[in-house]
Amino acid sequence: MSDYIRFFLIDDDADDVAIFKEAAMEANPALEIINAGNGHEALKILKHTPGNYPNVIFLDLNMPRMGGKECLAELKKDTALRNIPVIVYTTSSQSKDIEEAMLKGAICFITKPTSIKELKHILSTISKHVNGNLEKTLRNLSNTSSAFIVC
Amino acid sequence: MILIVDDKKENLFSLKTLLQLNLYDVDTAVSGEEALKKILKTEYELIILDVQMPGMDGYEVAENITGYSKSKDIPIIFLSAVNIDKRFITKGYTSGGVDYITKPFDPDLLLLKIKTFARLYRQTKELNDIKHNLEQKVEERTAELIEANKELEASNTELQQYAFIASHDLQEPLRKIITFSQIVKERFMENTDASQYINRIIASSERMRTLINDLLSYSRLATDPDFVTASLNIVIRGAITDLELVIKEKKATINVDNLPTIEMIPDQIRQVFQNIISNAIKFAKPGAAPEMKIWSDFTKEKSAESKAAEKGVYCRIYIADNGIGFNEQYLDKIFTMFQRLHGRSEYQGTGIGLSIVKKIIEKHNGLVTAKSRENEGTTFILVLPVSQAVKPSAVLY
Repeated sequence: MSDYIRFFLIDDDADDVAIFKEAAMEANPALEIINAGNGHEALKILKHTPGNYPNVIFLDLNMPRMGGKECLAELKKDTALRNIPVIVYTTSSQSKDIEEAMLKGAICFITKPTSIKELKHILSTISKHVNGNLEKTLRNLSNTSSAFIVC
Repeated sequence: MILIVDDKKENLFSLKTLLQLNLYDVDTAVSGEEALKKILKTEYELIILDVQMPGMDGYEVAENITGYSKSKDIPIIFLSAVNIDKRFITKGYTSGGVDYITKPFDPDLLLLKIKTFARLYRQTKELNDIKHNLEQKVEERTAELIEANKELEASNTELQQYAFIASHDLQEPLRKIITFSQIVKERFMENTDASQYINRIIASSERMRTLINDLLSYSRLATDPDFVTASLNIVIRGAITDLELVIKEKKATINVDNLPTIEMIPDQIRQVFQNIISNAIKFAKPGAAPEMKIWSDFTKEKSAESKAAEKGVYCRIYIADNGIGFNEQYLDKIFTMFQRLHGRSEYQGTGIGLSIVKKIIEKHNGLVTAKSRENEGTTFILVLPVSQAVKPSAVLY
């Protein structure tokens, strides 16, 4: 088990990537963030680094070339990649997006929070439990956080 | 023009002369067959018909004339020297004649009759034309209205979708403004003078976010979810859970009676309670903890005033608070979008919450009103049908 934790943020929005990195840095210094701007690029990166996978994937839905839903389906099709937990991380809070994401195998659906404090709290909590019971951690988070989290 | 039908040329001639002397346009036919042909081509205002003719007799001709839609209203006067018996006269009338004159006849009387019948025919025809025109116009206008209505519905739907998309997209940059301002404040401005300006930026942005959120919920109401049978108790509990934080923070107490099960769109009714309860908390008296009481009764009419009746088809829900209240002369205002009775610095709010309440209740075919006096609290009254005309698709809880 490595001593650093790696989150893979698949999101094309540079502002959101900056916010995510900022929050991650303060949430947990051992947290490394890598980023891809669309599903296509993300799959390429993952397939080039076999065995060295991120602990959690944060996946935006609305992206050019390959959007989040398609990317999620591709991830779950791949026997090597399907075990990486995927959290959908998006601006949407619409039920049809939530249902589709959960159906396709996401473990959690988080609407990008407005408060950076909230995001820090989410990332710090997840990073502390990546090797434990992540689903339970997320369920607890959805009950305690003011951010919109569906598990 | 008047048509005279007679097989005897001398009869035709004398009658034609008489009429022409009195300035009538006259046409003639020597047989029933010829008469029918002419009637199809020309429009006559009166037909004088001899009864006894070789080939087709007068009765047959008359029956044919009244059979055509074009000629059915032309008055027919029978003229006969031979068939003057009562039964012939009766037959004349039943075959479509308006009069039956026997020879010899008084020319002055005949002229008077011709004049009367011709005038009646013209008037009837004019009336029919007017009626026809009117019907056509009504049809045209109806078609135009239906078309305009369709266009209106289409543009309405478009507008609602537009509002939804616009408000959703508006939230995006705002979320970033807030987040980056927070970062700047925490990283670079702790305890500096500039931080208070950043605080103002954040507060303003937050207010705008609430506004957009409210607009978003308002435009979401346009979609048409189904009615289901659900318990008001559970719906209210959901609304209270959503407001838990602020209820705790303001030490508010909410006392809810046992409420009935009705047909509704639960998410929307939950929003109604959420808006009214958070309104009550928002407009609490300074220094006093908000207290609310929710109860219900049934009534036979869709009215906030009518007598309670156990078997009524309307459920009436009361939500009473101990807040600052308002002057009832502003009752209409509180349900209108963006109308605020108080300055923003005194009380928060976007002025959309109660307009959402009103829209939802109207969608449920109910009504909402409030009773209040300044400084004496407010009681909101919702009147909702127990069953909806559109049958519910499910029984939820």
